[in-house]
Amino acid sequence: MSGAVIGQQRPTIGEALRRIRLEAATYHGVWSWIATVDHKRIGLMYGATAFVFFLVGGVEALIIRLQLARPDASLVDPDQFNRLFTMHGTTMVFLVVMPLSAAFFNLLVPLMIGARDVAFPRLNAFSYWVFLTGGLFMTASFFTGNPAGAFFEGHLGAPDGGWFGYAPLTSTQFSQGTGIDFWAFGLLILGVSSMAGGFNFIVTIINMRAPGMTLFRMPVFVWMTLATSFLIIFAMPIITVALFQLLFDRLFGGVFFSVADGGTPLLWQHMFWLFGHPEVYILILPAMGIVSEILPTFSRKPLFGYPFVVFSGLAIAFMSWGVWAHHMYTTGLGTTANAAFGVATILISVPTGIKIFNWLGTMWGGSIKINTPLLFSVGFIAMFTIGGLTGVMHSMVPSDYQQQDTYFVVAHFHQVLVGGALFGLFGGIYYWFPKFSGRLLNEKWGQLHFWTMFVGFNLTFQPMMILGLLGMPRRISSYSDGLGWGFWNMMATAGAFLIAFSVVAFIVNVVVSMRSRERVGGDPWDGRTLEWAIPSPPPAYNFATIPTVKALDDFWNTKYVENEAGIPVPVVADGANGDDEEDAGHGIHLPSPSVLPLIAALGPVFIATGFIYHGNPWLLPLIPVGAVTTLVGLYGWALEPVTE
Amino acid sequence: MNARRVRTLTGVALAVALATLLAGCGAFGGDQNTFNPGGDVAERQRDLFLLGLWPAIVILMGVLTAVVYIVVRFRRREGDEMPKQVHGNNRLEIAWTIAPLFLLAFIAVPTVDGIIDLGRAADDDALHVRVVAFQWDWRFQYLDAEYADADGNPLTVPDLYIPVDRQIGVELQAGLNAAATDVIHSFWVPKLAGKQDVMPGRTNRMWFNATEAGVYSGQCAEFCGIGHAVMKFTVTAVEPAEFESWAEEQLAGQ
Repeated sequence: MSGAVIGQQRPTIGEALRRIRLEAATYHGVWSWIATVDHKRIGLMYGATAFVFFLVGGVEALIIRLQLARPDASLVDPDQFNRLFTMHGTTMVFLVVMPLSAAFFNLLVPLMIGARDVAFPRLNAFSYWVFLTGGLFMTASFFTGNPAGAFFEGHLGAPDGGWFGYAPLTSTQFSQGTGIDFWAFGLLILGVSSMAGGFNFIVTIINMRAPGMTLFRMPVFVWMTLATSFLIIFAMPIITVALFQLLFDRLFGGVFFSVADGGTPLLWQHMFWLFGHPEVYILILPAMGIVSEILPTFSRKPLFGYPFVVFSGLAIAFMSWGVWAHHMYTTGLGTTANAAFGVATILISVPTGIKIFNWLGTMWGGSIKINTPLLFSVGFIAMFTIGGLTGVMHSMVPSDYQQQDTYFVVAHFHQVLVGGALFGLFGGIYYWFPKFSGRLLNEKWGQLHFWTMFVGFNLTFQPMMILGLLGMPRRISSYSDGLGWGFWNMMATAGAFLIAFSVVAFIVNVVVSMRSRERVGGDPWDGRTLEWAIPSPPPAYNFATIPTVKALDDFWNTKYVENEAGIPVPVVADGANGDDEEDAGHGIHLPSPSVLPLIAALGPVFIATGFIYHGNPWLLPLIPVGAVTTLVGLYGWALEPVTE
Repeated sequence: MNARRVRTLTGVALAVALATLLAGCGAFGGDQNTFNPGGDVAERQRDLFLLGLWPAIVILMGVLTAVVYIVVRFRRREGDEMPKQVHGNNRLEIAWTIAPLFLLAFIAVPTVDGIIDLGRAADDDALHVRVVAFQWDWRFQYLDAEYADADGNPLTVPDLYIPVDRQIGVELQAGLNAAATDVIHSFWVPKLAGKQDVMPGRTNRMWFNATEAGVYSGQCAEFCGIGHAVMKFTVTAVEPAEFESWAEEQLAGQ
């Protein structure tokens, strides 16, 4: 008797953790989101956070455009201008397009492959929290990074070296203040998030597919997630090394990029672009995957040439490793290197072209429902084609000696990243919004959003091509009258505000739609892939019974069979629809919520702050504080029982 | 959305594009207009650009026309039947993989040819100039012996003077003297030649010429800090005789 009492008074560690876990399982409200390991909730948090950063990056863009609207403007001084465009680029690439893509990976990949979650749900939560803390850390540099070294004093303190951070402009000799340190540490922290996410999705896609979901029955979006994840895990280590070198130079007098000490600035460019060009495809491949899902649904036809679309995506991912020096034609690499990278760049347009032709082939002969997701996808094809063609023109090296570092390049990559990636991502938001909210986005607001964004986009970026040809270099904070640039800059600025208006229309749309009482079922679009087979929004366990997959577009094939003429005929309903299984999920084991990934994710920003201010005895101890925080988080995480 | 609206919107878009293009032609003046070259290198670069531009416009028009045509023609109408389920066509796939290769070969050959041609060293009888770029200005040093002063220092000026129709061989130096460190800059005179970066710790070279006399505007093209936008210079191309007398005058004053 007494022995049993002693046992109760002194529970084992495992028993204590179990109690904490049970406590955690009862999280409500905000805490249920903070402790969540559900891929759908993490996906929504990724998306919402990225959208807030999108607004921040957008405001930066608008200030840049206001400054450049007229010759000799002085809205912001050159120093502030440099910090704004550095943060605009960094924000849009690392805090908007990458995490928006990660949002879609999270929301969709488990549903599309018939899984109940990703392979490592807590690592997934960790990825998100590291992204959030890293993003906030980077953005905090606006207030902390000014040359005076102290806190905000009426000047922006953000990094001032451009998103590409070319050495030696980023050295302490040429960039005082802590802006560059925040930038470098911020990117390192975000890299951890991307790496964890990349590994998670690779393992998820390789290991967690439902029975029968062979690789070549996977939706193209899943394929593109796989390709993107591999690019991430190979590209991120390169920039990580480069950033460590930069930080050694800045904090401890390292000499990797210092010419006076035998270092070489060109090394940074090689490292940065060896990461940077695969990064471009990290940004665009997910959008290509999204478009490859939307077009078949609204054309009521399967994707044309599925294996070719898949393999061209993989070819792009592979070839993206052999084109980095096309960012460096004018650095003096020599004729052999320039010729080799020029030809490689020309060749990478072939698989890109294959995708465009197959998308057109998908729509050809279809029954095309013209709505907002389709319009964004079609807009993607049109705008991305311009981006691709201007890319080929850049591969013509001698001609690129003129276009390099001009607004022609700015126009080119905004065609790819806005007209391409962002259009695709917005199309994806309209397409999958009903799946995760149970409500359709409003079509009228949606079309207003699309058309204003489309017109605004063309008004903003096509004039930039002409500006580049008229000899306007990038990254100049002002220009004098008489060069013929004023008119085109004014047009671009007007277009930028039209884009801003379109974003407002999108926000209104989300608010209006979320307040609507109308609900949709699990399959509002007559979809083709597995996510449409379950209710909207999906239950926590996704699939009551794990589906057995028999074909590509399996869900479509449960709804229709093709007759001899190749026309789909509805299958007589047999009641096997997922909607009928509302209460079927009781016996399903799901990973328990946990706050430990968040705790582990808090450490890196403390460590980074400690290193940046290592001369300050009060802030230096943040390094061990951060290290212990992360260790505690990881240790608890390792000991925590995952499921009952 | 019905077909009429699609057509109207397409019409509006095309009209805007056309107006833009026309306005563009009107505004194609400007001191840094790469379409208005004043030397052989810039002209060659513009010609190569145009060689790529026309096929690109044709392909773009083809894709845009196809997109609009397909969306309008195959839009879903009331009472539409399910379309035939076409999964692909291997012949088409092979065709649109191979066809672009021919087109790309068409631009790859002149590209490589241009790289080799522009990448060769300057002629011996060229006018040799060292371009010195530093935060945030330029100096130009005439390296040939006849432009050295009594102490053997090269003639050094803040804006470049060159004789027309003579090759200018340029070497690029970052920082006012070899010991000083500076950031990366890029030497660019849009109407005379594409840019070449000025790299700290190494000497890049290029060459160009001016076939027409005039004052050409140049500007740093690599982001180099607060003064990047104002890091400008001019290149004045004059007749050879005029150049020689200018150089004598400058040397006398140095």
